[in-house]
Amino acid sequence: MAANMDVRDILELDTGQTQNDFVTKESLMTEGKKKKVRKLDAGIKRPEGMHRELWGLLHTDSRYQTDAAPIIPSDSKQGYKQMKARIGSSRVRPWKWMPFTNAARKDGAVFYHWGRVADEGKDYPFARFNKTVDMPVYSDLEYQQHLHDDNWSRQETDHLFDLCKRFDVRFIVVHDRWDREKYKEHSVEDLKERYYNICNTLAKVRAPGGSEPKVKAFDAEHERRRKFQLIKLFDRTQEQVEEEEYLIGELKKIELRKKEREKKQQDLQKLITAADSNADNRKAERKNTKKKLQAREPKEGGGLVSSAEPGGIKFSDFKASGTSLRSQRMKLPATIGQKKTKAIEQVLEELGLEFNPMPTEDIVNSFNTLRQDIVLLYELKLAMSTCEYELQTLKHRHDQLIANKNGGGSLSSYLMTTPTKVPDVQSPTIEDAAGSNSQDGIPGSPSKRKLLVDTIDVVGTGSTPSKKRKAAIEQINVLKKIKQKI
Amino acid sequence: MSLQNQDAAGRLKGVTVVKPVIYGNIARYFGKKREEDGHTHQWTVYVKPYKNEDMSAYVKKVNFKLHDSYPNPNRVVTKPPYEVTETGWGEFEIIIKIYFNDPMERPVTIYHLLKLFQSETDVMLGKKSLVVEYYDEMIFQDPTTAMNSMLANTTSLGIGPYKHETDFEEKRERTKNKISNAHSKIRFEMDQMNEKLKRAKDSIAKMKKEISKLEEGATVDAEPSL
Repeated sequence: MAANMDVRDILELDTGQTQNDFVTKESLMTEGKKKKVRKLDAGIKRPEGMHRELWGLLHTDSRYQTDAAPIIPSDSKQGYKQMKARIGSSRVRPWKWMPFTNAARKDGAVFYHWGRVADEGKDYPFARFNKTVDMPVYSDLEYQQHLHDDNWSRQETDHLFDLCKRFDVRFIVVHDRWDREKYKEHSVEDLKERYYNICNTLAKVRAPGGSEPKVKAFDAEHERRRKFQLIKLFDRTQEQVEEEEYLIGELKKIELRKKEREKKQQDLQKLITAADSNADNRKAERKNTKKKLQAREPKEGGGLVSSAEPGGIKFSDFKASGTSLRSQRMKLPATIGQKKTKAIEQVLEELGLEFNPMPTEDIVNSFNTLRQDIVLLYELKLAMSTCEYELQTLKHRHDQLIANKNGGGSLSSYLMTTPTKVPDVQSPTIEDAAGSNSQDGIPGSPSKRKLLVDTIDVVGTGSTPSKKRKAAIEQINVLKKIKQKI
Repeated sequence: MSLQNQDAAGRLKGVTVVKPVIYGNIARYFGKKREEDGHTHQWTVYVKPYKNEDMSAYVKKVNFKLHDSYPNPNRVVTKPPYEVTETGWGEFEIIIKIYFNDPMERPVTIYHLLKLFQSETDVMLGKKSLVVEYYDEMIFQDPTTAMNSMLANTTSLGIGPYKHETDFEEKRERTKNKISNAHSKIRFEMDQMNEKLKRAKDSIAKMKKEISKLEEGATVDAEPSL
């Protein structure tokens, strides 16, 4: 009923009630109660024993059909809820049209506004927001002694400080209002630099001996470069944006490959040691063929242990009691990769061997060591191809450096036309590294025989040298471009 | 038999008994497709000892699991000869499970791909039956005491000469030679590869050195073209 009263009050109608200045809590609550009681009587009561939830459903259903839901919540006191705050229920505070002065103004102008009677005579509250910047002021003497700058005249400096004072050191505005007719144009950074330099110099000069004045840090050069960069970034064309993305992608790829190669390089050393130790074992066997069996036996016995070295295959250990089949001991472990399995099969096929030979004890043992060595050979080949690739990359880097030295400005074109010829410098190549094996004097005409290694397909890395060379050139070009960009 | 080697589970520690076996199948072509069921071959799948001995001394039964399309595909044979003869038209994998007299010993499983067809024309004509058989070894690691005595006391199957279709002795020698030849080849190539690799590594190191030398020179006149 409060709303009703407000309306009557605004329309200045007689309320018919005894005038009551305060809308008390009690009066509001009693009025609500009266209404609610009436409402409840009108509704249907929940039957005894019926669950509240069910009643709620039924009740709303019936209300949809017969009666509209109440617009104002009818139940405001009952239940767990706190009473809602009633805003505007206290006594009305009067307003008054009154004059005021703003303390921030120097001229003492008088304005008028609506204000509460209670606030009359108080200070204008917004005056406290009028902050002024504390700016240093220099004297003629100080200027001549400390503040002289060849790029700035005294007039210009004064103008700068005047503007700074007027616009509260908002340099963008200062720059905008700069008197370009009288004085020469300065960039925002120039203005800032001059202003802060003066501030800092004055602070230093005026600081009492011994104490370190607080210096405002401003690196104008850095700011200029930063803005220049931002402008450049902003002015890029769509094509340039795309190219940059492409280059970044390429760079990531190159770095990834590089990491991979480095990892392989580390494995390589292990591999070489493994192969070496194998070779040593064998030489020992050759020397004393009589002791061959004895020498083999311990190796065979501990074969499962020694196969843990890098490169080999770890065949599962049949030490558990119980029954088993000999052929099970030839099974390749599941941990061996597909590539290795394939390599083994390729070599076995080339050798004309069965994949599952007749499983007697000695055949199983020798077959397993054979396959271990095949895997080792495969890994050696893999390492070799990594080496070749690295050598290629290094070679190109080398060539590039040579080209740079020879004053090659048009480097990429140089690389394109003469990708390999670097006549004036002796550079080690793969041929140097690998080519001499035919003269090594190894029994059994190795140069003629088809090597088993060649049957192994080093998948993934086994691209042709020319392909690799191309890739290397591409890589260098990308790197070059990236360098230019930076 | 020393009792001190026996562990809690009644197993003889450190004792290993090996029993070689031959498994496989023979097949004979009818010469034509049989009208009633479309079968073309008669075949026999078998397991037999490599040496002439009666396996029933330690083998309880052999289970041949045929293709599901055969009536009761699990064929159990409790006495030698351990074999199943059937007719059919297709090849499939037969699972052969050998159970032992001592239930403590787990059964051994062999997988055999039934072979019927061979490109040789005389087999197609039904003149000669096809034989596919393999050698394998059953290994009894730390057998139980009971099993061990069963394995040791076997009698021979018959007095006649005991022979297999395939000459496994010859095959063994052949395989052994082949493998050792292959091994020497592989080792030779490993050596070669190793040498190659070492040389490649050396040249990489050399190259790197040269590059760093060049780079040092280059950094002096590096373009500050920014």
